[in-house]
Amino acid sequence: MATNSVNIEELKPHKKVKFWAEAKRQPFLLISSALLLLYGIIFYYLPVVGWLTAFQDYKPAKGLLDQQWVGFDKFVKLFENETFFLAFRNTLCMGVINLVFHFITAIGFALLLNEVRIFIVKKFVQTISYMPHFLSWIIVTAIVRDVLSADGIVNEFLMKICGNPQAIDFFAEKAYFWWIVAFTNVWKETGWNAIIYLAAITAIDPCLYEAADMDGASRFQKMRYITLPSLRPTIMILLLINIGNVLNAGFELQYILGNDVISDVSKILDVFILDWGISQFDFSLGTAAGIFKSVIALILVCTGNFIAKKTGDERLF
Amino acid sequence: MKTKMKRQIHAGDVIFEIFLILFLVIFVFVTLYPLINTLAISFNDGFDTVTHRIHFIPHQFTTDNYKAVFAKEGYRIGAVNTVARTVFGTLISLAVNAVLAFVISRKRFLFKKSFSLFWVITMYVNGGLIPTFIVFQKLHLTNNFLVYIIPGAASAFNMLVIRNYMNGIPDSLEESAQIDGAGYFKIFYSIISPLCKPVYATIALFVAVYQWNSWFDAMLYNKMKDNLTVLQYELMKQLETAMKSAGSVEGLKNSGTSITPTSIRAAATICTMVPILFIYPFLQRYFVTGLTIGGVKE
Amino acid sequence: MKKTKIAAVMLASLMSLSAMAGCNKTPAATTTTGAGGETTAATDAPKQIKEFSAFFAVPAPSEINKDNEIQKIIAEKIGAKCNETWLTGQKEAEAVGVFIASGEYPDFINGGNAMTSLYEAGALVAWDDYIDKYPNIKEFFSDYEWSQFRQSDGKIYWMNPFENIYGDDKTTVQNGEAFWIQARVLEWAQYPKIETLDEYFDVLEKYNAANPTTHDGKKNIPYTMLCEGWRYFCIENAPQFLDGYPNDGSVIVDVNTKKIVDYNTIPTAKRYFKKLNEEYAKGVIDTQAFTQTYEEYISKLSTGVVLGMCDQWWDFSQINDIFKTQGTEQYGYNYIPLGLTIDKGIENQWYTSGGTLNVSSGIAITKSCKDIDGAFKFIDDLLSQEIHDLRFWGVKDVDYKVDDNGLFYRTEDMRKQVADPTYKAKHICNYSYFPQWSGTSRDGKNAMMPTEQPSEFKQSLPEPVKKVFEAYKVDTYVQLLGSVNKAGVWYPMYSYSNNMKTDTKGGTAWNKMGECKHKWLPKVVMSKNFDKTWDEYMKAYAACKPEDFLAEMQVELDKRIAAYEAASKK
Repeated sequence: MATNSVNIEELKPHKKVKFWAEAKRQPFLLISSALLLLYGIIFYYLPVVGWLTAFQDYKPAKGLLDQQWVGFDKFVKLFENETFFLAFRNTLCMGVINLVFHFITAIGFALLLNEVRIFIVKKFVQTISYMPHFLSWIIVTAIVRDVLSADGIVNEFLMKICGNPQAIDFFAEKAYFWWIVAFTNVWKETGWNAIIYLAAITAIDPCLYEAADMDGASRFQKMRYITLPSLRPTIMILLLINIGNVLNAGFELQYILGNDVISDVSKILDVFILDWGISQFDFSLGTAAGIFKSVIALILVCTGNFIAKKTGDERLF
Repeated sequence: MKTKMKRQIHAGDVIFEIFLILFLVIFVFVTLYPLINTLAISFNDGFDTVTHRIHFIPHQFTTDNYKAVFAKEGYRIGAVNTVARTVFGTLISLAVNAVLAFVISRKRFLFKKSFSLFWVITMYVNGGLIPTFIVFQKLHLTNNFLVYIIPGAASAFNMLVIRNYMNGIPDSLEESAQIDGAGYFKIFYSIISPLCKPVYATIALFVAVYQWNSWFDAMLYNKMKDNLTVLQYELMKQLETAMKSAGSVEGLKNSGTSITPTSIRAAATICTMVPILFIYPFLQRYFVTGLTIGGVKE
Repeated sequence: MKKTKIAAVMLASLMSLSAMAGCNKTPAATTTTGAGGETTAATDAPKQIKEFSAFFAVPAPSEINKDNEIQKIIAEKIGAKCNETWLTGQKEAEAVGVFIASGEYPDFINGGNAMTSLYEAGALVAWDDYIDKYPNIKEFFSDYEWSQFRQSDGKIYWMNPFENIYGDDKTTVQNGEAFWIQARVLEWAQYPKIETLDEYFDVLEKYNAANPTTHDGKKNIPYTMLCEGWRYFCIENAPQFLDGYPNDGSVIVDVNTKKIVDYNTIPTAKRYFKKLNEEYAKGVIDTQAFTQTYEEYISKLSTGVVLGMCDQWWDFSQINDIFKTQGTEQYGYNYIPLGLTIDKGIENQWYTSGGTLNVSSGIAITKSCKDIDGAFKFIDDLLSQEIHDLRFWGVKDVDYKVDDNGLFYRTEDMRKQVADPTYKAKHICNYSYFPQWSGTSRDGKNAMMPTEQPSEFKQSLPEPVKKVFEAYKVDTYVQLLGSVNKAGVWYPMYSYSNNMKTDTKGGTAWNKMGECKHKWLPKVVMSKNFDKTWDEYMKAYAACKPEDFLAEMQVELDKRIAAYEAASKK
């Protein structure tokens, strides 16, 4: 519905004349946007001057422009390191898995919770659902290790009920690691991520449901044909935002749960940056890796935005 | 209300109901078990936790873990600062993001597209720790309370969530107000904002939780200023002292611990969680279905 | 109504924010006279007390309260105090990097392994003109020791505060590395002489066959290894000791040829890992050794199920407290150190006497300090006997008592009290990263540190350990190792490799070697075909170019020997 009206707006006959006429009509918009622009430049764009350090052998003692320039040496160093590609692959895979799970679970949970009709139950479940969000990652990793340990509750369950002959060492098996990370993210964030969707559901016109009731729709049908489509703009926006974050696949989980036996699948970019950049006082290498991550993120977001434009969906810009 | 009477009973609905109940039960157990377990451990003797498996209730009850967490003062100052930053940070951030989202969501706004892009980019680039520090230092934000509030006030993510909601509000409202001679500021505070309560509540919750849990900025920018410390930073310090998860060989030799990392961590967790849980009920009324803009929809 | 509400809220918040900003500036302006600078105490204090700030790039050993009692007593006595800040949630290089970039420092700083960067940034004050003025500081090191701290410009910028012995060595505990074995195993085997790795595993296996469980029926784990992160020294550096060398940490120094030897590739290394491989296949070694975290390792040890492991005492000594409070000491779960070698007849150097001087880090005074003489005086005062006793023993008659012979001792209540974290935060002030002595007090009777006081030490020993001491006719843990060697003048070489960064070829190799060992050592131990895996490991290891690293270590070794010879000629 939104797209129709945009089309009319975009017919711009006399550009210049219209610009000034329009500008006069929106002083509030222009002034506040100017202030916010200034704010954004200072707090978000000015520090990005620091990207210059990726082309230097940065020593914090000297000013930004007094450094020794090394061109693309740091990027070469980065791409020559085999561990970097391993870490890149792992980060990307875990990022994508997390992204998919994040959406399926958060939306699914919001839809199901919306179907709970007893108010007390709804409130209770929701309150519980977002509680794990408040746990710090350090604590969550400890909980995961505990739950999956040899005498933890999962192995207890598998051995007593499913009849496994012996405890599974979940952290010694490469195949499990990404799924452990994915599930942990689901456990911690599902309830929290669902909040946005629950807020968006409140905006759905109740008339739609009433009309569906008249037509004799089942609850599942209403969920499928009313609630879910109404959430589409919200889903698209969050999807676009999060696509850019696939390379931020977490840190503590992989850092603490990973170990030498499974380091081939557990090592991620941020851990690599720590080992080869920051711990080595090589801030330039860390910046180079950061730029790499940003560039990938922007490519993904722009691509996503372009596709959204084509399909007529909600866009970021 | 009357529609309820007319509703037909579907076979699918029964299956759906059973599925829903089953799901809720499993969900609640899986989510709650580790939390109750943490609560139990936090009230259990540290050394006893090592040797006995704790499930739902403490085996050897003690409040020592909490005493250990709060052994150091500094929590008092930290609590004041945390409450202050949560309250002011949330209000400021909500106001700024609402205005930002409003501006960007106006169809007639002249720089709509470029301004959106400007903010979207901020989500994916950052200059790194040291350059950011230097900028803040030049602005005299280091060793200053305002560093908790100003730098994070406008955030592209929060803006986008609000904008998305505002986009769902029919343009006719704005147009009719304009016909009545209302300026954009009036449209913002008297027409759009009242309709955005659920999303404002959501963002307020996000920001409040972020503010409450933040400690990294306190550590980074106000490290040497004891009177600007925040609660979570103090907790974090205690936690690291207890865990000594990394660091030098020599440091470890020079202290004896009697409280175990597990127990102190559990206590610290509970301390973090409990206060923030109280915020939600205040905001929850905005999430109730029915508070709607449907009445004005064409 | 609604609209006014929102506007009012926004307005109010803006106003209160500016009010906040105002509030905050006032106290900041009155208490501080400059960032990182010294502050002056309130005017109503009887005596002007200088306030210094310090940052230590390590996690806090313990945090103290602002109104800490002993800190106050010390401040009144010496007219100065220091507010300590520790590393939290950050890496040392990051914290130090930010200080350097901002150009604002606290008065004192210990940058851990990033000290060199501070020196290169010109952040530190040279000590050369000050050392002679402060007798307690000067006394802390010999001229040769001081000379080891000299940087490339020939000046001294910091001192390491730890592991320095005054007067007679009172060391009781093997604080360093050893193969440890539970007292119950030794008792069962009737206190045999265990000298080699083979004998060690033999005893563990036999004991486990005869006694497969603990007192409460938990299954024993004959041997475990900790491999997490930087703690993997527990598995990787044993070959140097097994060959009879001391803990140079990253390399062996051949005493005769004065050449650097890589302990990762010597035959002993292969034999050691082959032994581990065999024991792993037999099921003697914990199957979770490679995936356990430090915390899990500690809880495993504290249940008493682990019969033996290779580790350093400080890394696991907290379990002694657990055994004590749980009342499981009586079952002989405490660990006894063994000075193993690969073959019989090699003299071991698991313990080296005379302390260890790590010149790579220490406490420094920064350019931001407004009162440099005051800062040196502060360190000097902390080293005086009276203040040193206050720091580590506490207040007389409150934290310790003095008997008729002038010996310090603690009552059981006092011991409990000083172990209580609340009491510690409120009362005890170690200034734990400022210079400190171990060994014998200047009174010639007491130990500098309570833990080394013979009466305190004996008191704390569990019965089964006492029996072990009797059986082997020793008084301390150190004597159990059977040798007291003094390491070479270059010791310890790790004080150099600790500071190596990837900006040199050797540093890059060092980082790669670490990564390679982390990845391969578990494979080697778990391998079904040891020789093949070992060869693959050696190939991967060679690809890291260890020769670059060794060459840099050789240069450092030569430098150290030359410096010593130059100093002893004087």
